[in-house]
Amino acid sequence: MTPPTALAAEAATKPLIPPSTHRYADIIHRLEAGGSMLPDTPENLMQIIGIYKAYAVPMDFYWRDLLYIAEQVFLNPLPAFKYFISQEYLDRPCSYSGDDSKLRIWRGGEKAHPELLQFMERGETVRMPKLLHHLWHDRVNMEFAEACMQAMIWHQGMGGRFNDYLESAAYRSNADRAIKAYFKRNPLMLGLYKLFPEMFLEQVRQLSYTANLGLFWEVMAPVFFEMSDIYDEGGFKGVPDAMNFLVNGIFAVAGRPIYHHVFIDGECLEIIPKSEGFTWLYEAALPYVEAVFYRTAPFRGTKSYNAQAGQVPADQAEFHYGILYADVFPVGSAGIPPTLLMQDMLHFLPPYLEDLYRQHKRGEDDQLVQLGVTFQRSMYNVTSAVIQALRCALLYPLDDPDPEHLLANRRFFESQLDRFLRPEARLPQIQTQDYR
Amino acid sequence: MILLLPLLIPLVAVLALPLLPGDSVLTRQSAAAAGLLQLLSGLWLWRHPPADLTIPWLPKLGLNLDLGLDGITLPLVLITALITTMAVLAASSEQGRSRLFYALLLSTNLGLTGAFLARNALLFVLAYELILIPTTLLVATFGRSQRSSAAIRFLLFNALSGFVLLGVVLAMGWLHPGGVSFAYSDLAADQYTPVAERWLLAGLLLAFGLKLPLVPLHGWQPITYSQAPTPVAMLLSGAVSKLGVYGLLRFGVQFLPDTWAAWSPWIAAIGAITTIYGALNAVAQLDIRRLVAYSSLAHMGLLALALAAATPLSLQGAVVQMLAHGLITALLFCLVGTIERHTGSVMIPEMSGLMNPYRGLPFTMGLMLLGLMAAAGVPGLAGFVGELLVFEGSWVAFPWPTLVCMLASGLTAVYAVRLFNRVGFGRLDNERADWLNTTWPERFPAVVLAALLVVAGIWPATITGFSEASVTPLALRHTDLAYTASAAGSQSTTAELLA
Repeated sequence: MTPPTALAAEAATKPLIPPSTHRYADIIHRLEAGGSMLPDTPENLMQIIGIYKAYAVPMDFYWRDLLYIAEQVFLNPLPAFKYFISQEYLDRPCSYSGDDSKLRIWRGGEKAHPELLQFMERGETVRMPKLLHHLWHDRVNMEFAEACMQAMIWHQGMGGRFNDYLESAAYRSNADRAIKAYFKRNPLMLGLYKLFPEMFLEQVRQLSYTANLGLFWEVMAPVFFEMSDIYDEGGFKGVPDAMNFLVNGIFAVAGRPIYHHVFIDGECLEIIPKSEGFTWLYEAALPYVEAVFYRTAPFRGTKSYNAQAGQVPADQAEFHYGILYADVFPVGSAGIPPTLLMQDMLHFLPPYLEDLYRQHKRGEDDQLVQLGVTFQRSMYNVTSAVIQALRCALLYPLDDPDPEHLLANRRFFESQLDRFLRPEARLPQIQTQDYR
Repeated sequence: MILLLPLLIPLVAVLALPLLPGDSVLTRQSAAAAGLLQLLSGLWLWRHPPADLTIPWLPKLGLNLDLGLDGITLPLVLITALITTMAVLAASSEQGRSRLFYALLLSTNLGLTGAFLARNALLFVLAYELILIPTTLLVATFGRSQRSSAAIRFLLFNALSGFVLLGVVLAMGWLHPGGVSFAYSDLAADQYTPVAERWLLAGLLLAFGLKLPLVPLHGWQPITYSQAPTPVAMLLSGAVSKLGVYGLLRFGVQFLPDTWAAWSPWIAAIGAITTIYGALNAVAQLDIRRLVAYSSLAHMGLLALALAAATPLSLQGAVVQMLAHGLITALLFCLVGTIERHTGSVMIPEMSGLMNPYRGLPFTMGLMLLGLMAAAGVPGLAGFVGELLVFEGSWVAFPWPTLVCMLASGLTAVYAVRLFNRVGFGRLDNERADWLNTTWPERFPAVVLAALLVVAGIWPATITGFSEASVTPLALRHTDLAYTASAAGSQSTTAELLA
């Protein structure tokens, strides 16, 4: 007869639910143990933190310029200088860093990051007028940020109530007021607005998404800066720590309002007021992850969908351009993957990542590709954080003693990983360090 | 005696290489130095044209060391030296049995140079036969997986070629109206009987048709080019095949002009068939080596057409095309070798995206594009000059075969675009793209060949200038004159034309 103490010990070690039979069972078990889709290795930790830092610096420019475009450039019919961000927006205090921030995520300053300002002055060439830097493409590639915004508006309805609101009477009324105020001294544009009102409204909707993405990244940049600082201090012990920091960050700022204000002649017009109650998690983060990580858009000319005509397929399986699926190798001379972002990140790589890249593959010659793969790994970690955050918000704790609850968690994880069963998904590749 | 220099350099190298220590790098450097020295000696001879040289060897047999250079052979000697040097440099730095390998390469070079410098038909045959041994050994010993069958086929076809040529040359010497002689000057001076000419030319067409090769005598070429190691393929396609063209020009056009002229419509037809057959086969190939081999075959047909037309322009075109083709095929085989060394494959369906700037082979593929454009006759590159001269020169004599060849030349663009579209563009496979980029020493031979293609294309006088004076007297037709000699034409007419 088995002694009672042995039975108790066996019960304590025996899993409450049977192992998963999913193709990615190992990864599901890792998620159930509080881990990430990305294996917990020192190199993976180093790669993802290094790339978060390299991503955060251009992101600091992205969010500032996106808000500048949405709030200041607005409907300028010739927005040739929309990437020439004003000093006011470079100095605009970030809501999540600096002494005066309401919720301080990063211990750094509230203005634009010093490395960003340094790069804006010299680029990778020499100090010269801003226009020459711009024309020489020796600058931060805002085109990438705009492509992300366009992916969000293109796919529409990726979660939350934001997209539906853009069709509401209240939104149309607010937009109408802003359009008329912006063009009050321009009868030609007002006449055009009379003739083609939907065209102008569509532009304003795009600008609302621009503001949405700007507000989303305003949070992420200090999160990534802080993660980099913590890592430099030896604070993270593994990939799950980094993921949990993101999960905590998500919950901390989940309720941040998402709005769209426009400043015309010093007056603030609320196109999407904060009072509408749109939040960072549901109206920005989740639609962003869905549209940009899982879908994005085919390279122009390879496929043609008319978004306004509702032709963009709702089925995610129709798309494999997001960073979780993207082939990091540019095809021909054009790049489906975010090559512009890679170029931006290249300028801000921490020294330990540069050393790592030099040791593998073609060293400095293919840093952009190695960097893209690292970015892919890091975004699998961010997606893991989102999945864990959703599980936290909608389901049960990982250490829940009820097997039914654990099975519910299991079903959730399996349904999430079903999305990576497609051959294009890079989930199997990132499980090994050989994928570079 | 200075004429001996291009022969002595490879000869000394062949004898010295086995004495070197078994270090493949040192052996390769020595072999390359020999090739380079030979090239420099050729260039020196270009600037300081030497007098013909005769050293009695076996006078009773009519075999003397008669050597000479003219505007036809000098460029061929130069291109042989150049391609040999580049082939040595294109070889792997870790070439196994390197002393044997490079000694055989230089032996081939020695045979080729001897054949081009020869002014005696027996000496030419000796040199011609000499080439067969090292090339067969190179293919059989250092070739790819099917090297045995490739080497056997190469040996059978080329041994037959050599055997027939020996018979023809002996017959030429013995049947010579002015008494037994193998000296080119004697062979060119007198006319054989029509019957003898017909038999001799039939033999020559068989012998050199096998060497070029021409359809339907090409059975050895695709498999040999595809199975031979890269440097050997470069030498075989870039220089050895030119021996066939040179042989037809020297022995056929110059020594048997009347029968050549009478048979020229058939030769032109064979040229056109070879060209279109080669081009169509190149379009269908899945192996890049075989594609380049068939492309080379197509260009051989073009040369046959030019020789058949035998106008000053077409003969000039033939010389230019020989040089351009030598550079082009050597470049293409060199690049295919680089691709194979890095990707481990030469199969078109297995590759894509090699133009990828980060993980592909963009430099190699860029040069490949240049080489394919030159093969397609794109203006500004050496291939254009050669093809234009051949087409323009041949059109007056044989418009229909010329038209077919022009069509086949258009097909070059088809297989070039097809190859490049599949191999260069498209998605680079993440799983496979795990190779390093090419290094400058690796690129060097291809860069030199490509640079010469561009220089010769932009400034064609570099290759047309010094051959014109030697080629024009060999013309049997003139663009403003119809050929007037009949098959049994009078001696004076032929002599007049030759003058």
